[in-house]
Amino acid sequence: MVLERVEHGDTVLEARGITKRFPGVVANDRIDFEIKAGEIHAILGENGAGKTTLMNILFGLYQPDEGEIWIGGEHVRFRSPLDAIDLGIGMVHQNRKLVSAHTALENIILGHPHAGKILDLKRAEAEISDLCNRYGFSVDLKAKVWQLAEGEKQVVEILKALYRGAKILILDEPTSALAPPETKRLLASIQAMTEDELAIVPFITHKLPIVLAVSDRVTVLRQGKVTARLETEAATEQSLAKEMVGREVIFRLERVKAETGQPILEVENLTTLSDKGYLALKGVSFSISEGEILGIAGISGNGQQELAEVLAGLRQAEAGRVILDGTEITHIPTLERWQRGMGYVPAERVDVGSIGDFSLVENVTMNYYFDDEFCRGGVVHYRDIRKLTKEIVAEYSVATTGPDCKAKTLSGGNLQKLILGRVLSRRPRLLIANLPTQGLDVGATEFVRNKLIEAKKEKAGILLLSEDLDEILSLSDWVAPIYEGELMGIIPGEEAKREVVGAMMAGSVSGSGTS
Amino acid sequence: MRIGSYRLRMEKRLTVSGWEAATISVLAVIFALALFSIIFVLAGVNPLVAYREILSYAFANPFGLPPTINRFIFLLFCTFAFIIPFRAGLWNIGMAGQFYVGALCAFAVLYAFGGKASRSADLPAEIVIPLMLLASALGGAILAGIAGFLKGKLNINEIVVTMMLNFIAYWLVSFMIKEGGPFMNPGGRGESFELPASVHPPLFNDVAFTLLLALGIAIYLSFLFARTRTGYQIRAHGLSPAAARYAGVSTVKISLLVFVVGGALAGLAGYHYFAAVPGVFKIARNYGQIGDLAFYGIICGLISLADPLAAIPVALLFAGLTVGGRFVQGQLGIGFGIDYALLGVLMITLVAFQFFYRYRPVLERNVQLEERLEDVGVYR
Amino acid sequence: MWEFIARSLEASTIFTFAALGELISQRSGILNVGVEGVMLFGATLGFIAAQLSESYLLGFLVAIAIGGLLGLLHGFFSVTLGSDQVVVGMGIWILGFGLTTYIGNPYTGPLGLDRIPTFLGLSPFFYLAVVLVIVTWFVLTKTSLGLRIRSVGESPGVAEVSGISVNRTRYLCVTVGGMLGGFGGAVYSLFYNPVWNYNFLMGWGFIALALVFFSMWNPWILFGGSLLFGTLWQLSLNPQLVLPGVMSRYLWRTVPFVATVLALLVMSTKWFRTRWGAAKPEALGLPYTK
Repeated sequence: MVLERVEHGDTVLEARGITKRFPGVVANDRIDFEIKAGEIHAILGENGAGKTTLMNILFGLYQPDEGEIWIGGEHVRFRSPLDAIDLGIGMVHQNRKLVSAHTALENIILGHPHAGKILDLKRAEAEISDLCNRYGFSVDLKAKVWQLAEGEKQVVEILKALYRGAKILILDEPTSALAPPETKRLLASIQAMTEDELAIVPFITHKLPIVLAVSDRVTVLRQGKVTARLETEAATEQSLAKEMVGREVIFRLERVKAETGQPILEVENLTTLSDKGYLALKGVSFSISEGEILGIAGISGNGQQELAEVLAGLRQAEAGRVILDGTEITHIPTLERWQRGMGYVPAERVDVGSIGDFSLVENVTMNYYFDDEFCRGGVVHYRDIRKLTKEIVAEYSVATTGPDCKAKTLSGGNLQKLILGRVLSRRPRLLIANLPTQGLDVGATEFVRNKLIEAKKEKAGILLLSEDLDEILSLSDWVAPIYEGELMGIIPGEEAKREVVGAMMAGSVSGSGTS
Repeated sequence: MRIGSYRLRMEKRLTVSGWEAATISVLAVIFALALFSIIFVLAGVNPLVAYREILSYAFANPFGLPPTINRFIFLLFCTFAFIIPFRAGLWNIGMAGQFYVGALCAFAVLYAFGGKASRSADLPAEIVIPLMLLASALGGAILAGIAGFLKGKLNINEIVVTMMLNFIAYWLVSFMIKEGGPFMNPGGRGESFELPASVHPPLFNDVAFTLLLALGIAIYLSFLFARTRTGYQIRAHGLSPAAARYAGVSTVKISLLVFVVGGALAGLAGYHYFAAVPGVFKIARNYGQIGDLAFYGIICGLISLADPLAAIPVALLFAGLTVGGRFVQGQLGIGFGIDYALLGVLMITLVAFQFFYRYRPVLERNVQLEERLEDVGVYR
Repeated sequence: MWEFIARSLEASTIFTFAALGELISQRSGILNVGVEGVMLFGATLGFIAAQLSESYLLGFLVAIAIGGLLGLLHGFFSVTLGSDQVVVGMGIWILGFGLTTYIGNPYTGPLGLDRIPTFLGLSPFFYLAVVLVIVTWFVLTKTSLGLRIRSVGESPGVAEVSGISVNRTRYLCVTVGGMLGGFGGAVYSLFYNPVWNYNFLMGWGFIALALVFFSMWNPWILFGGSLLFGTLWQLSLNPQLVLPGVMSRYLWRTVPFVATVLALLVMSTKWFRTRWGAAKPEALGLPYTK
């Protein structure tokens, strides 16, 4: 293997002139960079800057249109991920690429050339335990992956790459799904790995503090090009953000104060199960009044999805009560909830929030087929709904060729705007917004947030579920961190501090950070 | 794939227009018929002659046309039975069983009115015939409803359940009409008692009155899907059950509804075939063979893209092919089962052509080749 | 009574072969609802080959070959073309049911060969079935190949980035599945009931499909299920051996089908549902594109 003997500081990977084009866009434009053994070299860039494409090229999933890759001084070409793996590149994906039904051990040895015809699990276990000890990992190898926490799953992926002999480890958004204590452990392990001359290349979007804390060098991408190459010591959060975005960046959004009124939603002791049969919500209680935004801050997987679903009637409540506008609705069907003035913008906009093969008109009908104004005598008045659709498209600036084209032709941002417009057009008393700005570009994100503020001004109560702590902090009147199905507190918006909320999201009860 | 200086490649489609889909269906049928000619050739028959004989008997011959139309009505009902659940994303392959049960229920009405006693029993047609229609629909509806309920409420695979119900119904018929069964023909012969003359249905040139019923239902179904709230819910559920749930559509109600309605229509086919078509007028001893033809409803449903109006010409075509095929079997000395073989070939061709709903063949100039030839001075 | 048990075991072997084949295919993520069609082809072509050549060996080989070919066909449509697997399966079923009706018709009637001798009073295929169950279990749980197959069925994306060819693995499994299905069909027509008749399989393939579901993809439970259903089937044919005069023989014939529906009902209860959900190959029936 090419990278057998490297010394600290040797260049292990060099990319020269990497260019990749897709229809209509140049994703990577003559990118040059190099990675040295034993260094942590962060690649920074916004969504759409070309990070994912570059990462996939380095890992062999895509082939560059132009440019070359040199590993250990030799020119290489990857025809598939297998080539990259053989040459010592390992990748740890953001959305874990693990088989959840199998054990950690089975995942680590999957596809390994030395696994042998008949699996020798004992030997593999011993070898992997060695690796764990070396780098300070602790994970139960015999547990099934779906039982593991996020941080542990990431460890499994790292072990898988290491066990395959990776010398260069590419990490895709390594800390975005981790709670602070897990992040600390990861960073410690990364340091340990660099002492073995492994090169670590994290690809990052937001976590600038992490980049500053741990990396040796940073390469910044913007719109497919490299805009900066810095020694981390010479960088600041401001300078990095400026390189990423191309202009000065404001770090806090303005919060709008609105007048609050009657309680619209009261939740008492709500308990529900996850798909696997475990408790997803453990006796959650809160209330939302007119004109208030309650932001649930948490890392996904702590019960937010189940909370949204049980309130919408898409999941059964095992215990507790949900009261909407004074009426108990805990067990009534979904349709009735919409009719009583609840609105829900789901996180899965393509699979649940819309029907791709339906036209925009038919999608809007999802919220109107039961409305007496648009549907009389069992017959749907599509003409009226069409008019409504045109209004929504105009008001929400949905970029489309017309109300009759299929929803799947819309881009993510436009689809989200359509769904939001459809739900808000019914003037719901209570709006549940689950990850409303996930995956949207800056323009669409801003639009959606403004619409939420507008709805708040119109006296709707809003339950906001988001992974973006900044979004929660800037929009919410009340902030409730959630951890493993429990609300760790309900803090007034003005008093909520980032570090405190962050700590509570990780399970700290009082808000004093676990250091 | 290169053809000279052109290149053929497959491009993923984002959407399929109605016309494109219809074209694919038509091409699939033509391709299947062409493929099927191999069977004719192997049987020592000229396929062109065979097809000509089939179509002319079915559509141009005064003896062949009425059976073709009666078969068409049968197939149309079976197609509806498939289409309605299919629109909701569910597979009803139990139309054969629903057909059997429908027939049994129709004959149960006769039995209740004393029709078993003799062929000349005098029964009030104005009451009995509508009751028979109602009973056959109800029977099919209940049988199918079992599958629909199990699917909607407990998410039990409807393919296996409807298939099991097919066999259960099949044996139930045997039980009822063969030796010792309550519907047994007094003369034995392994068939049911005969339809008394007093309740022979009205016929127009040997064509059953159920034709109007079938066509009327086609029009109503088309309206149902395009314009009604129920139709919307069915379509939404078919395209995305998760999104439909989110929109408040009840999976249980829709699953049950589509199977009940579909089953009712297959049940009507049971009344039609055994009590409305001249020359039969009883549950015949080879009822299983007809029941197997009910599976043509699946093919017609798929080819017509689950559209009730498009099902009309498709069912008519296949009625002609099967009736003509059976005739030609005798004429040209081909073995038994030509209509089943056609069923098989059609289905697999259709499955193959599904690919074209998602990919479009694109022919483009091989630009690189041209550029290179230009450089060398060959191509200007 | 012994006769009844022996015949029940014979029947069970047919379920075992067909269902094992489908289990292997499903473990890799490919759903074939047209098992009945594969069995029909194996049974019919095997029957014809054996009768014409007067060789059982040839009959079985032909059945295995046609089963494999159908498996490949299913693979081509499902894996390479990415079509809806239920549609493809239905196609294979109707293709089988339609063509074999026509092809087999001239051969209606008994096979006309000496019956394959039993071994220790039991069908030789029973021993073969037991061996196959053990082999399948071993390969799936204890070998690298088995781990790969299972990963392909759970998360093809993960398997691909681990260096495994998802398509090749699926083709392998679906072809082996087809071969076993064809073989099962041949055991029916060449041993269990060596008489060709219109629509003679009568739903075995669908029961085998249901068996795979309730086995929760575990070869041992599948074997147990086959034994149960083999017995039920035999009971439905010869009720007089166990419960003489209780019901019309036609109603007895419905027993295996009613039992299947009941078994499915049991599977939907809470106790089963979570286990079943956990055991189900996550990518079953879903087309995979890179």
